[in-house]
This record gives sequence, C-alpha cells and structure tokens, in this order.
Amino acid sequence: MVPKRIIIESGKETSAYWRDLWSYRELLYYLTLRDILIRYKQTFLGIAWSAFRPLLTIFVFTIVFGRIAHLPDNGIPYSIMVCCAILPWQFFSNALTDASNSLVNNSEILTKVYFPRMIFPISAISISLVDFAISFGILCLLMLFYGFVPAWTIVALPLFLAIAFATSLGAGFLISALNVRFRDFKFIVPFLLQLGLFISPVGYNSNTGSSLVPERWKVFYYLNPMAGVIDGFRWSVIGGSRAPLYLPGIYMSLTVSLLILLLGISFFRKVEKDFVDII
Amino acid sequence: MSAIITVENLGKKYRIRHQKQDSYATLRDTIVQGAKNIFSANRTAKQTEEEFWALKNVSFEINQGDRIGIIGRNGAGKSTLLKILSRVVYPTEGRIMLEGKIASLLEVGTGFHPELSGRENIYLNGVILGMTRKEIEKKFDEIVAFSEIDKFLDMPVKRYSSGMFVRLAFSVAVHMEPDILIVDEVLAVGDAQFQKKSAAKMESISKDEGRTILFVSHNMKAMVNLCPKSIYLESGTIKNIGVTESIVNEYLLHTDSK
Repeated sequence: MVPKRIIIESGKETSAYWRDLWSYRELLYYLTLRDILIRYKQTFLGIAWSAFRPLLTIFVFTIVFGRIAHLPDNGIPYSIMVCCAILPWQFFSNALTDASNSLVNNSEILTKVYFPRMIFPISAISISLVDFAISFGILCLLMLFYGFVPAWTIVALPLFLAIAFATSLGAGFLISALNVRFRDFKFIVPFLLQLGLFISPVGYNSNTGSSLVPERWKVFYYLNPMAGVIDGFRWSVIGGSRAPLYLPGIYMSLTVSLLILLLGISFFRKVEKDFVDII
Repeated sequence: MSAIITVENLGKKYRIRHQKQDSYATLRDTIVQGAKNIFSANRTAKQTEEEFWALKNVSFEINQGDRIGIIGRNGAGKSTLLKILSRVVYPTEGRIMLEGKIASLLEVGTGFHPELSGRENIYLNGVILGMTRKEIEKKFDEIVAFSEIDKFLDMPVKRYSSGMFVRLAFSVAVHMEPDILIVDEVLAVGDAQFQKKSAAKMESISKDEGRTILFVSHNMKAMVNLCPKSIYLESGTIKNIGVTESIVNEYLLHTDSK
C-alpha cells in the first residue's frame, strides 16, 4: 500500500477532511458504545432505564396535558398523540444537550490525539438515536395496547427523523464549538430547550380544530424546525384526516434545518483548529 | 533515502493574557469588552496581551526508520513540536509533510474509561490511537500477554492498581503499527522490570520493523540507548541536530553552566 501523504500547512484547510471522517467511523462506533455502556453502570435497574425514562415522560405528559388540562385529542388515545411529539422532541433535546457538551467532556482525548473533531458531536447524537429507537419500541407497544392502526403515511416518518437529525447535527456543531470558548452555553442550552418545549407542538396539536396557532403567526412558528418535525411525526403516525399537515410550515422547517446544518458545519470547520489552544 | 517527515519553517504562536483573572473568556466579558471598545478608543489595562512563540523557524527532515530524540529544557517547545506533528495543535506558520500513518503517544492511557473493563478499554483506546478493530483483534492476545493483567481483564479499570493501569495502557500503545510513532516520555511506567521490557519493545519496533520514532524524554540514558540522532531545542528554536551522545553532552554542559 502506498502510504498516504499528509500535508499540514498553516492557514490552509487540512486535505481530505471528509475522507478522514469516514475512515474514523470505527472510532465513532466505539465512542458511542462507550457512552451507552457507561451511562447505566452501577445503577440497580441498569439498561432498563433507557426504557423507563421515555415511559415516565409519556406518563407525565399524558396526565398533565390529557387529564388535567384536557387538551383536545380528536378521538385519538392521548398517550399516542403525545408520544408522537415526545419521541422527536426528546431525541432533539438529548442530542443537543449531549452534543453541546461533547467537546468539553472529551477534552482529555481532544488534547492528546488527532481525529476529525466532528466525531464527538456526531457520536453524542448517535446515542440519542439509539434512545429514539427504544422509545419508538414503546410507541409501538402503546399502539398495540390501544389497538391503534397507524396510517399508511408512517412510511414518511424517516424523512422527519432526518430533519430532526440534521437540525440537532447543525445546532450541535455550532453550540459544541461555541461551548469550547464560552462555557455559558452549558446554561443557555437547557434554558432554550425548556422554552422550545413550549413553542413546539408537544403537548398540543398545532393544526386541528380551533387551530392553536393563529394564521399570521405561523410564519414565525415554523421557523422552529422542530415544529415542522413534530407536526410531521403526528401526521405520519395518525394520518392526514385527524392530524392534517400544514405544508408551508414543513417547507419552512426543512429550509431552516438545512440552513442550521450548513452554518454549523462551516462554523465548526472554521474554529476546529483552535479548539486545543482554548479548551 | 527519502524523508518521511519534512518540517519547514514551523512556528507556533500563543497569546498570553495578563492581568486577567478568568481562566477563560466568558460571553459576558466578550460582550462587555466589545461594547467598551465601541465607546472608548483607549483600551483598558485588563486587555494587555503578549505574543509568545513556543516554536519559531523550525525546519528539519527525518528519514524512514530513523529514531530521533528531542532534547531540551522545560518550555523549550518539545511538546508543542510533538503536538503539531501529531496534528493535535495547528501551526501558526510553516508546513509539515508526513508520508504515512502517524500515531502519537503524548500520554499513556488516552481515553481510558474507569468504568469500563480492561477488555473494553483495549478496544476503545486502540481505536482512539488509530487502530482498526481488526488490528486490535489480531493483536489482542499479544497486548494482554505483554501487560501481564490477563486475570483482571474483565474487571473495571477503576479497580486496577496504578501499575496495572499503566501497563495495560502502554501495551495497547506499543502494539500499534504506524509508520511514524511519536512518543512523549511514556517509557517511565511500571516497575523496573516492566520499564526494561518496554524499552526493549520500543527498540525492536524501530530496529526490526523499520518504523520511524520521535522520542522526547528527560532520561538522557534512555535517550542515548534508543536514539542515534537528536534534535536540541532551546526556547522554541533548533540549537543543534546531531549524534545523540554529543547533543546530550552539549545539553548537560549548557544546563550546568547556568
């Protein structure tokens, strides 16, 4: 094998960054595995926690919004309606939290060994993807329990998951890189996510009956990519008749999420070289 | 013989902030300072910055199979040089050409996780250092045998003694097969017997397998034994390059006279 040549020149881009990233995929796998393995070490319930956590969240939401607040459910079991929203929201929220701290938490490795730094936020988001898969299993069980048959539109679900993935990736790149210099983001992110929970249609359905979101505010409402994603999830699982899709909103969310992704990548690449010097 | 490492005019600049108590800039500081700078032309004393060149005008070539020592006092730029060659730190000036796979041991046990077992850590540490899973599988028994911890392989590393820990970490590291190996003072691990064993292993990596090694240590004896040639760094620049014995003598003389 001809040894590959590496040229490092100040002020120039490292050659073959993306090929490098691909060649480190095994590292991505092991870092993800590491974080999954260590998360429930020395807990009594162990890996069962990964099922308990989403289950508890769904339970709380069903009680608070369904039973106490009596939000309209259009004849759909409320837990399923809430679950469709909690799944993508939890994915996004966990992914963003973990990704934001991923560089700082791994600073020991970061300052000693080279590999494309994007591995860290990507690995953090992969863990959330695993959690998502487990939560999705719970949704399936809920549907079985209620005898609820999902609409055919469920085939579109991966598309909306992809938008959520792109959003968390972009925002994760951006905030993890900022967090290296400004640890303030450790406090800003949880706050933003708390706010996001209320401006995203998690506990309510944005497009049914007496539409909760006024027409003229919709433009701003869907600037939040997760609004589109959650609408999309509901539409996919429940079907267009009972959870209609507001298409302009989806386009808007898609565009914003792609913009965030591009911004995240370019910003991360720009400041990546200085991480070690300032972390 | 062709050069496997070419370094041209390498420089690394750091900024040192004075009279600043925060170890890192907060968002608030940046905003406040930014606002201050808009309203007042004169900069505050809080901002004084000094440039510091950890490395300056460093150029050299290393051939395939060479074992090169890097000698110098604390703060001479040894670690910075190794970090730049390992691609951890990005240079401010100059350029580097590396022909082949490079692996760096700037520390023993990078990425070891205390909660994971020895077995899991071998894989994790291996991929962090740049090995593939297949390579680790192939070398697994050798790594375990070298580290002498086979009985404790499935115990969490946090329950290891520090000796066991460094032995395992070192074993993973020396079983990599890079074209260029960068080592920063990691030979001094374990008891006397293990140190001897690891020094012998390092030597065989280079002599028998033809790998290029860059080695930093304050142990002059180990240096003379392992590296025929050395680079003498002083305050960020190269003072001399030559046969290790004479470089070591020059270094010791210079240190004594101070």
